Amino acid sequence: MQGLNYTFARSAEEAVAQFAGAGGSARYIAGGTNLYDLMKLGIERPAHLIDVSRIDGMDAIETDGEVLRFGGRALMADVAYAPVVRDEYPLLSQSLLKAASQQLRNMATVGGNLLQRTRCMYFRNGAGSSSMVGVYPCNKREPHSGCSAIGGVDRTQAVLGTSQACTAVAPGDWPVALMAMDATIETLGPQGARALPIAEFYRLPGDTPHSEFNLNPGELVTAITVRKTPAGRRSTYHKVRDRESYAFALASAAVAVEMEGATVRAARIALGGVATTPWRSSAAEAVVTGSTLTRELAIQAGRAAFADARSGKQNAFKIELGARVVADALIIAAERRA
Amino acid sequence: MPSQVFPEIARVDARDKVLGQALYGADINLPGMLYAMLVPATIAKGRVGELDVRRATETAGVVQVLSIGDFPTLRPEISFLGQPIALVVAETIEAAIEGAEAVTAVYEASPFVALMSSPGAHRVPAEGFSTGDVESAFQNAATIVEGTFETPTQHHNPMELFGTVAEWSGGRLTVYEGCQNVDAVKGALAKALNLSPDAVAVKSEHVGGGFGQKSPPKIQTALVAQAARLTRRPVKLVAPRGQVFHIANYRPRSIHNMRLAANAAGRLDAISYDVVQENIPDGGFRSTGYHEDIARLYAIENFRATAADVHIDRQMPRHTRGTHPFPAGFALESLIDEMAHKLGKDPVQFRLDHQAKKDIIAGQPLSPHFLNDCLTEGAKRFGWSKRVPEPGSMRLDDGTLVGFGVACGIFGASMSASEATLRVRANGTTRMISSGHEMGQGMLTAIANVITQGLDINPDRLEIQLGDTTRGPQIATVGERGTASCIPVALKAVHALRAKFEELAGSNPPAGNLHEQLARLKRPYIEVTATELAPGQDPSALKAFRSGGRAGAGPDYPGFTSMSYIAQFVEIHIDPMTRRIRMPRAVSIADIGRVVSPRTAKGQMYGGVVWGFSTALREETEVDPRFAGYLNDDLADYVIAVNADIGNIDVGLIDQPDPRINSVGVKGMGELVMLGTAPAIANAIYHATGKRIRKLPIRIEDVL
Repeated sequence: MQGLNYTFARSAEEAVAQFAGAGGSARYIAGGTNLYDLMKLGIERPAHLIDVSRIDGMDAIETDGEVLRFGGRALMADVAYAPVVRDEYPLLSQSLLKAASQQLRNMATVGGNLLQRTRCMYFRNGAGSSSMVGVYPCNKREPHSGCSAIGGVDRTQAVLGTSQACTAVAPGDWPVALMAMDATIETLGPQGARALPIAEFYRLPGDTPHSEFNLNPGELVTAITVRKTPAGRRSTYHKVRDRESYAFALASAAVAVEMEGATVRAARIALGGVATTPWRSSAAEAVVTGSTLTRELAIQAGRAAFADARSGKQNAFKIELGARVVADALIIAAERRA
Repeated sequence: MPSQVFPEIARVDARDKVLGQALYGADINLPGMLYAMLVPATIAKGRVGELDVRRATETAGVVQVLSIGDFPTLRPEISFLGQPIALVVAETIEAAIEGAEAVTAVYEASPFVALMSSPGAHRVPAEGFSTGDVESAFQNAATIVEGTFETPTQHHNPMELFGTVAEWSGGRLTVYEGCQNVDAVKGALAKALNLSPDAVAVKSEHVGGGFGQKSPPKIQTALVAQAARLTRRPVKLVAPRGQVFHIANYRPRSIHNMRLAANAAGRLDAISYDVVQENIPDGGFRSTGYHEDIARLYAIENFRATAADVHIDRQMPRHTRGTHPFPAGFALESLIDEMAHKLGKDPVQFRLDHQAKKDIIAGQPLSPHFLNDCLTEGAKRFGWSKRVPEPGSMRLDDGTLVGFGVACGIFGASMSASEATLRVRANGTTRMISSGHEMGQGMLTAIANVITQGLDINPDRLEIQLGDTTRGPQIATVGERGTASCIPVALKAVHALRAKFEELAGSNPPAGNLHEQLARLKRPYIEVTATELAPGQDPSALKAFRSGGRAGAGPDYPGFTSMSYIAQFVEIHIDPMTRRIRMPRAVSIADIGRVVSPRTAKGQMYGGVVWGFSTALREETEVDPRFAGYLNDDLADYVIAVNADIGNIDVGLIDQPDPRINSVGVKGMGELVMLGTAPAIANAIYHATGKRIRKLPIRIEDVL
């Protein structure tokens, strides 16, 4: 049997030190809901797992009234049900509750969730695992092997942020909500601690779709912070999928608005299920900002979000669907009590 | 003749299942057991040039590797992606997986046809059917509707995977495997391993869902048995779901061109129907079967059917719950709705007006049936009268589009020759040896109900044995004939046992229940064996039944034809902005003859509506034509309905016996219950939006 070291870290510093000692073949593990899946598929074959799920304090959910702070190993379920999140930032809570299943949310962490890998069927299916059968080239899995999704079964592929090398959709819901809220990601790595805006956390596929995150080797997500904004309460995470539960988004929108009567003072709009990264749309925000929100304007904003969209054979509907999801989310958010 | 109404009793195996005590094939663990893993071919067509098993053999824990040439089914010629090219047997499942992943093959790949639409694909005509004068009916028609309907490749996906445990003892083989036809598996194993059938036992006492996937013998079963023979240890294989997608049968994609003619009086007069499906040469699922059931649904005298296959380089498609009447019924019931709309008639009344009396296929009467009662009862429960006919005219306050839809389903009521042995003991126990397979459908509960209604015995100490070739011959539990085959013979056994007891006890029987009476008569037990045939069936069918041969008959019996019927009503909501499609409620009413186990029958109906919903709005197996494999080959990506999808379902059973089919008047329902829901949903979507959608699954992009 393939050997595997499994160690526990008591602190983030210890985790980083263990990673350095493992010489590149290590992975951090917390809930394991994505990593074990990828290991079964043969996509990940780590020789060393460093368990960060017991690190003291890294599961905190706290606020000083100005900034919400989630420890990297806080569970999706715990964050979703935290009263401050539910009441002040409905979009954050909803983005978590509309993801996965209760069992998975009880295991998965909000830090690990940022790093969830794509559900592109060609990526998942073809790494030689005995549980999967096909052999499908994938640039993300194996650089420069080619992209099977382009010209293949592409109904669920991205329409925004794609490249000649990759059209795989960023799968998460939570990162989309965080993108709308301008969250900050705190990390600890061999070079020390740093904080980066979530907008800088994800990489477009370009020619290097295998490189998805602006994280250095051994860098661990220790916390996520969200600054309080007046738009937090008037927010929603709207998700349309192929079934009513336990499915990834065909199109989703995280929307938060500040209203003055019927006029939109400020809007935050991010998209999921349609792009290669969690996708902020300043174009859509610009359409509604300073105007009276009507159904027509909401749809116009949705359309603006997809102005640069490019579709393949079967996924053109995502452009229209995505625009409508944005529009619906704007109306839902605006109707919420501030 | 049948008249008795059966009371509702609890599912007899519910407690065992809830406690995890019901054992399925893969639950069997034997001392010294080894674990196996298949190695699938990664090309669709061609030859295995070289197969390197060295690294697999050297993997720690690997005991044996069977590869090309080691067994007849491990062939170098590859005819579908996923075809097993080796079996790795190891001390642990982990070692077996690691060994399987270490096998490498060099292939000589050949061009292949993955889909009906692939280059090189061509139509291979099959036999047609014609009755009446279709030509002149269309020439004289006042109204014609027509359409091309398409249903997708779908996999059954029962919860239970393919689990096989094989064990040898003194030259005798025992196989534990969930299947729908243990005797066929036994026969296939005897043949593959060159054994006398007497030396093979197959046990399948609980099946975790069949749906047709587990009817034919499987390629891997004999391979596992061979591995156990070579290693002299029991071997277990549980094929992962991704492999099951590639080696199991599946519902073939099919395309249906249908035309429907009505005369000037607004009566349906003719159907012209052409079907083409994906298939392999000599495949086990006939393209000639599509018209057979639906041609009996309404009083339409003129019917012409043509059929064809397109040969593809994938594994064999076969029967999948609902079989032919599902895609054919989707086409017909969509067109009936369209015709009713075109003629300005209510779709329920239009169907009621065309009640069938005659089987135009066999040219004989239909047994009395109650489709119109299903429609009437369903319409009442559903509140059909609240429907405003004009499409797009019903809305909720928030703008949600509302659609009401109705459709019917029909399935042949077949039967099999069968046998049952009933023993009641003085010690308080009763044993029934039946034939059949318990797949969750409730066969055990139905048999228990017949016995406990007919005999004064301890119901808690009744044991029913089936799904085991060592107990007696076992019927193929397919085509919804299980209950219709096992219940009449069970009742016959009950009557025979009662008669035998009365003979024994004479005119002054002792007091007490049957066990106590036997004790007082100093008889340890009495036993009877009963056999039963389908109507008009030759007694030689029993011989076929006992030797694993074809012992089925119907739905056309000498002098009459018997069918099961269902009417489905659904309400569909479509979100005004995102166009999300939801089904808040459904009503499902069936005529399955006499209902023997009301609890499990209703359970089947709930499941049938869920299955129908899922086939209509969710399920499609994705094939990339450049590879010919199945992309979404797990339960995350093969989208099956979840609880959150399903609204309120109200089910009802007419419970009128079919007086001609058997002594109980019971017909099958396992296939029937999923029929009608898909066209009812498509019809409701039309009613909500004014848009006809003629392909499945219907997805959000179809109504955007």
